[in-house]
Amino acid sequence: MTGDKPLGIVLIEMGILVILGPLVTGIIQKIKARLQNRQGAGILQPYFDLIKLLGKGTVQADTASGFFHSIPILVLATTVAAGALVPVVQSGPPAFPLGDALMLLGLLALARFLTAVGALDAGGAFGGMGASREMTIAPLVEPVLMMVVFSTALAVGSTELGILAEQRGTSWILAWRAADFLGLAAMLVLLPAETGRIPVDNPDTHLELTMLHEGMLLEHSGPGLGCMLLASHTRQIVTLGLAAALFFPIGPVGAGVTGLLLGLCTFAVKILVLAVYLALIESSYAKLRLFQVPQYLGIGFVLALMSLALRIL
Amino acid sequence: MNIEIVHAVIDDLGALLLFTMIIIVGASQISRAIYAVAFQSLFIAIAGAVLAMATGNVDLWVIAGITLTVKAIALPWLLLWAIRRMDVKREVEPVIPDLATLTLAVMFVVMSFHLSASLGSVRQAISGNALPVGIALTLNGVLVMATRKTALSQMVGLFASENGIFFTAMAVTKGMPLIIEIGVILDVILAALVMTIMVLRVRSTVDADIADLDRLRG
Repeated sequence: MTGDKPLGIVLIEMGILVILGPLVTGIIQKIKARLQNRQGAGILQPYFDLIKLLGKGTVQADTASGFFHSIPILVLATTVAAGALVPVVQSGPPAFPLGDALMLLGLLALARFLTAVGALDAGGAFGGMGASREMTIAPLVEPVLMMVVFSTALAVGSTELGILAEQRGTSWILAWRAADFLGLAAMLVLLPAETGRIPVDNPDTHLELTMLHEGMLLEHSGPGLGCMLLASHTRQIVTLGLAAALFFPIGPVGAGVTGLLLGLCTFAVKILVLAVYLALIESSYAKLRLFQVPQYLGIGFVLALMSLALRIL
Repeated sequence: MNIEIVHAVIDDLGALLLFTMIIIVGASQISRAIYAVAFQSLFIAIAGAVLAMATGNVDLWVIAGITLTVKAIALPWLLLWAIRRMDVKREVEPVIPDLATLTLAVMFVVMSFHLSASLGSVRQAISGNALPVGIALTLNGVLVMATRKTALSQMVGLFASENGIFFTAMAVTKGMPLIIEIGVILDVILAALVMTIMVLRVRSTVDADIADLDRLRG
């Protein structure tokens, strides 16, 4: 389905997501630090980390194949491509066929797969461990995310994220059906898992027992590691953007430059709200044991299933 | 108040009730389940207030108030007090795996929606999805009672089940006679007191929970 969103705006939105991604991580870390009574690093710290990493040399394991080099580029590319599908400053479908929410989830899954392949390719024990854990969690998260998307898509009759956001933009909170509440609850349960945060994963640690995502990055270094980190920042903001597009009632509005700026502001507010939510969750819960994660995600699954069932029945 | 808005609000409260119910079924710590049941009662009190505004029935205001004070504040406080007294830090002990319980819970929810969809004209008279939500809460409360080993978690299940019956009754009848509601509430209070005392007594005399009682031989 095509609309009237030009290519230029889609590219601008993609750029905004990539540029703001590290900032969201910085803000979450700052809030966490303040909640722990620490001063914490500035909110721009992730940018400094990225710049530092991009200027460094690369060290590679002897066992890694030539494919290992291209992994960070591929992961970053798929994640950024997923970013093109998220409506940021303007709702409504783009003027050319681009892909829908399922495409977005597929691209994120592809990025996850490539990350795991890279971790296995390097031959390190931690990488393999991290990859196997990530692949254990992923099948529990992705279908549930799809069910949440379907639940919203059923009401609107389209899986195009732009149309979903437009619909949500015009609907007031009282127009929320019961299924919307359940879907949002499922989304809130899933967000920490999809963005690799406590209680499912711990982004701050390099301790072997607790890491999922970090374990897969251990073998990367220099610009490659920079790309992987940028990819995970982008993945986080893309996931938050997906949640915002699916559920938050203040949709991107207007046309012209002021409309775009207004859309950008509302988008920033929505992302900020979700980031504060993630920081609060991360500060108030302990990381779950790996074997308890399926039960935690099971709650999300049940909520998403009920939301879908309520739409159909 | 517009009848459609009332239906929408009751629907949304029903969704929140189902959400708290899933938290109760899936909770791995008993205190979390107790907070969830407290919130469930709070939502029911809100539903009562909304219905009272819509119908102008004064009894419903009284019922909402009683629900708020007794079920959302007093009973959870009693349960939390019992937990502190017994020093239970343990997680809830399920009889069957948690995921199996969650699956059963979903099946109950889907089943009650499916069943009440077949009621047809009867359903038209009832506000929104209140009937299936109430049935689902009742069945899931029974599920919690059946799948937990400790007495306190079973009490949480009983309260959730009672909440379901209460919600159904309130939404279906647009307010029962006040005397019946008060009788029901008194029943619940009495049951909670007796059960708490029983649990504390059993714990202090034989240092066992009720799951161990089936090993008693005369």
